[in-house]
Amino acid sequence: MSVEAKSTPVPSEAVPRRRADASVGLQRLALAIALPAGIAIAWELIVRAGWSDGRLMPPPSRIWQEFEELARNGELWRHMAATLLRVAVGFGVGTAAGTLLGAFAGYSSITRRLIDPSLQGLRAVPSIAWIPLFILWLGIFETSKVALIAVGVFFPVYLGVMAAILSVDRKIVEVGRVFRLSGFAMVRRILLPAVLPAYVVSLRAGLGLGWMFVIAAEFMGASEGLGYLLIDGQQLGKPAEIVAAILTFAVLGKLSDALVAAAAAPFLRWEDAFGAQHGAG
Amino acid sequence: MLALDHVGKTYPNGVRALDGVTLEVAPGEIVAIVGGSGCGKSTLLRAVSGLDRPTSGTVTLDGAPITQPHEKIGIVFQEPRLLPWLSVAHNVGFGLESRPRPERNARVKAQLDRVGLTDKANVWPRELSGGQAQRVAIARAFVTRPEVLLLDEPFSALDAFTRADLQDHLLDVWADAKPTLVVVTHDVDEAVVLADRVIVMRARPGRLYEEIVTDLPRPRDRQSAAFDFAKRRVLAALDRSLDRKAVTDAGETKTSAGAALWW
Repeated sequence: MSVEAKSTPVPSEAVPRRRADASVGLQRLALAIALPAGIAIAWELIVRAGWSDGRLMPPPSRIWQEFEELARNGELWRHMAATLLRVAVGFGVGTAAGTLLGAFAGYSSITRRLIDPSLQGLRAVPSIAWIPLFILWLGIFETSKVALIAVGVFFPVYLGVMAAILSVDRKIVEVGRVFRLSGFAMVRRILLPAVLPAYVVSLRAGLGLGWMFVIAAEFMGASEGLGYLLIDGQQLGKPAEIVAAILTFAVLGKLSDALVAAAAAPFLRWEDAFGAQHGAG
Repeated sequence: MLALDHVGKTYPNGVRALDGVTLEVAPGEIVAIVGGSGCGKSTLLRAVSGLDRPTSGTVTLDGAPITQPHEKIGIVFQEPRLLPWLSVAHNVGFGLESRPRPERNARVKAQLDRVGLTDKANVWPRELSGGQAQRVAIARAFVTRPEVLLLDEPFSALDAFTRADLQDHLLDVWADAKPTLVVVTHDVDEAVVLADRVIVMRARPGRLYEEIVTDLPRPRDRQSAAFDFAKRRVLAALDRSLDRKAVTDAGETKTSAGAALWW
């Protein structure tokens, strides 16, 4: 009767698979760092051999010295903390606003017709253009910087949430209706889980923009932060400091993105998608 | 008693999908609705389920009008429509959220057992075959103990072997509490295997055309002469509904040609 109920026992297969996963992971890691590591080593050798003085582009050893110096006198941590705090607060504010308005716009078509055209219009404004206004309104200190970052985070999150809600499968919503879910239960049990994958993508896009805008914010006048370090390195002619700041941005950006992805992963194990099976992470 | 009284549905673009459908289905009865494509059989089912409202006439269950989904009416769709983020067991228990956990767990377990998927309780829906997924959908519908269960071409996406298997499963689970079943199908075999009564619909506008009583004793032998005869009567009625007038109840050679053409 139930011919298809038979299935391969899972445990016998799981162990070798995990070992294979580990070696695949190592191989992938090696491939990922091969290119930057190769270029760094080559540049180091070129400068050591005297083919270039490395004045405009310092070799890895000199950048490392710069890192050690910045870490020893505590500057690195001070600037990192300042930038991280700005991104965190701006990301939080932008995400909250984007999620809320995106959810309203996706859920109610009247709200969408009311706010979406205006927001799309504002989205078309290059966000750097807000800087003068924000400085006039909010002063030159933290508030205007956080506001700029929040604006950068807001739009991808707003768009992502709205589009995700609009594209929830009508057939799945009907299942909720058949079981007579109330408005709130429909949101909690059907809409929320259904939009989660797209929501995570929009959060990551928003976070990326947040990192972009923190530099713009710090360029507009800051006494600390990684953006300040960049400007400082330029004005004092210290390329090693600039590269050190850029590398710190890269590491922090990648780490924060991985954090968001890892935090979401347990809720997305059910996904049946190309990437879920082939480890797109 | 499920009762439809002059149910009509006219879409905003003027298409009369249903017109004056009057039907009574007794508790525990299994009714199959067949008809050519576009005859309004799915529209009819959606009106009964309360997902769509008819534009005229009323649907009542035990005298209470149905204008929105009702707790005593369940539905199984053509696709399983499982929630991909819930395990199989949680999918089956989806309609039991308000029940205390021990009761819910016990009922889900019992129902999964009835459709032979106990070992799949904790897997994701993506790991199921099409037939298994539809069995989960059937379990999800039965576990809330509906008085009326509507099935909209429930097995049409499956291969012939799995389909026959699931028809047996359905009758098996139905026998536990004997709810009213209304099955929309375009498979005449399926209609005759399942139903006490087969209703043939006719299109433009969608309406009931002919009713064939197929109350053979269960379990039904798909190879028996009585089964074959019932099938021929349904096919003949279908051909008449499509205005192939040459065919009669007894017309054997001609119905087989019609059987391939009607849908």
